[in-house]
Amino acid sequence: MRSRALTTFAALAGTSVLALAGCGGGTASAPAADIAAQPEFSGTLSILTKFAGEPLDPYFENLAAEYRKAHPEVRIELIQETDQSIKDKLKTLTASNALPDIYFTWTGNWAENYVRGGRAADLSKVIGPDTEWGRTFGKASLDAFSFDGKYYGIPLYNNGKFMGYNKAAFAKAGVKVPATFDELVRSCPTLREAGYEPIAFGNKDGWPALHYLQQLFAYNVPATTLRADFDPATAKLDDPGYLTALKQFKTVVTECTDTGTGTNGVLYTSAQEAFSSGKAAMYYQEILEFDNATAGKGLTPENFGIFPLPVPAAAAGDPKALEGSPEGYLVNAKSPRAALAIDFMKFATNAENAKTLSAPPYGQPSTVVGAVTPETSSKAVYEGIELVNKASNLAIWLDTVTVPEVADAWLAGGEALITGGMTPEKVLESVRRASASAK
Amino acid sequence: MRAIVARSLGLAWVVPALALVGVFVYLPLVQNFGFSTLEWDIYSGSQEYIGFDNYAKLLDDPVFWSSLGNNLLYAVISIAFQVFGALLLAALIESIRGEGWRRSLRVIYFIPSAISLTVAGLLFYFLYEPNLGPINHLLEAAGLGQFAAAWLGQEGTAMPAIIAMSQWQGFGYSTLLFAVAIQRIPSEIYGAAAIDGVGPVGRFVHVTVPLVREMTGLMAIVTVSGSFQVFNEVMVMTGGGPNNSTQVLGTWLYRSGFVRNDFGYAAAIATVLFVITLGVAMAQLWVTRRRRVEW
Repeated sequence: MRSRALTTFAALAGTSVLALAGCGGGTASAPAADIAAQPEFSGTLSILTKFAGEPLDPYFENLAAEYRKAHPEVRIELIQETDQSIKDKLKTLTASNALPDIYFTWTGNWAENYVRGGRAADLSKVIGPDTEWGRTFGKASLDAFSFDGKYYGIPLYNNGKFMGYNKAAFAKAGVKVPATFDELVRSCPTLREAGYEPIAFGNKDGWPALHYLQQLFAYNVPATTLRADFDPATAKLDDPGYLTALKQFKTVVTECTDTGTGTNGVLYTSAQEAFSSGKAAMYYQEILEFDNATAGKGLTPENFGIFPLPVPAAAAGDPKALEGSPEGYLVNAKSPRAALAIDFMKFATNAENAKTLSAPPYGQPSTVVGAVTPETSSKAVYEGIELVNKASNLAIWLDTVTVPEVADAWLAGGEALITGGMTPEKVLESVRRASASAK
Repeated sequence: MRAIVARSLGLAWVVPALALVGVFVYLPLVQNFGFSTLEWDIYSGSQEYIGFDNYAKLLDDPVFWSSLGNNLLYAVISIAFQVFGALLLAALIESIRGEGWRRSLRVIYFIPSAISLTVAGLLFYFLYEPNLGPINHLLEAAGLGQFAAAWLGQEGTAMPAIIAMSQWQGFGYSTLLFAVAIQRIPSEIYGAAAIDGVGPVGRFVHVTVPLVREMTGLMAIVTVSGSFQVFNEVMVMTGGGPNNSTQVLGTWLYRSGFVRNDFGYAAAIATVLFVITLGVAMAQLWVTRRRRVEW
């Protein structure tokens, strides 16, 4: 009886494996979506956004309502997720072959996976830099979603990372905007004496540390070396700039945060709150957060200033590089409504909607040329976008530019560096191991 | 003939339930084992059969072993608090003479168990918060500021802090079950022991403990099994960090699949987890059969 049960179990397991293997093949061989066809204005268009929660969620809801006024036969199914939840949602939908018609993406390895897997439609015919629609975007933002000379993404908004500072706190402490990394570190005790936490920092989720690290890597490691090191196939990770950057990051945590080795126990949003309530003098943040930082009662827009993380002396990388990248949307390569999806995204990125997106309360600086102006956006958002446009090179977020296994090793290493659980040398060694394993 | 018809009709009633259990419980188990033998690229959909490579990879993965270690630590501490501690507390409560006091204490101890683990995790996250959390403020107010810490932010304190929350949450439930088991013991046995000059400690050791051994065995196994299924509290409080120090098998499984895109490896971890919990469940069946107390 027992042997019969085992035989049955083995047969079931074998059948299951065969069935699973039979499911293989995925969408790579799926027929290409005809994105340039005349759209049929009927049916349901599904869209997965990263705009869940206040103040962003009304943006796509309003867009959908406006679009339906012009095309009442079209139904729009919005799936709105947050920055954190969309990662799981996208992977679940991908694994179950249930991606919506239009879905959010980051740049770098994140988007590349969808392109490589045949899940993203080639949009070159409609959004290439020489097309009518393509010319409405900044070229760098289109290029961020380009792979092997083809254009896949619809960039919606730009982003960059800056040190936000409280001008009133700096004035009270008699501190000037630091021009070098050393000046930044030296300003911290003075700000602390004036009654402020110099830099608010919460690393509970791990990725905020990666944002510091990526900017410091861009300063300390030559750009060509960095690019090669992001790909496990060519990675060596032996440039001395990595160790320099890791040590500089540790210095910032030790000298400039009040939580120091306990920073991993603080939420990113708690740090944001400490800055916007006026308790902290600085906070390293994305352009997308600027309008939120001044939305409360503590920090006024007039007292809010920004500067790029100051460049360390004798840095061997690119001193004009800035961390950031646009975020955008892909069209499902298997979507039967690809042409309708393109029409909707053209509507979403027209001049009027681009300006609405760039203005408060949304404050998401559109990638559409001319949408971000001092009139349409807050002063800080406009200034941030100007600096992004002037940057010689945009360093894509460390957790999306490289493969997940390596990104995860950097994340654990950043946390260990903060607690003192690992030395910079050990962190780099663990990342090298992860990179070798991901080859 | 009538018996055969009756039996067939009986089977017909059972078939829908069997089908549901088969599709939603047993088929995923078999499928998971199938996934664990694959290298699966969710983006291209390609699935390559790699045999037991994912299981071999487990052996070389330090985070897998530290996760397993955290589950074991969870189990050991939970046994101490939720089995032996809860039994002691239940005996103390049941020895109180006033029925009103007994009822009140049972309710007080049970309340944390009525809170969901996710909510309890969030609550304790704020209690442990290094800047705003009341634990550090209380320590400072008591002149013990040197013991204040970033409880969830340090490798050395994060796992014990999560386990402590879990004990707080589960302690009352175990206590209530033990209280019920103690109430089932005939009072004549305690009376006879008292006449023989056995004191309260002796009555606990020689009467209560042996006569609740069925419940003790059951609770021990349920607690160990639960310790290997820990997920919510870790995800809410630390997400497995810092530096993977609070990963347990459940969270490492999640991270391997949903963050590192290694779904075949995640399925292998799930299979190991299944084997462990299945082993514990079999032990539970065996123990409860052997330790049945009858009077």
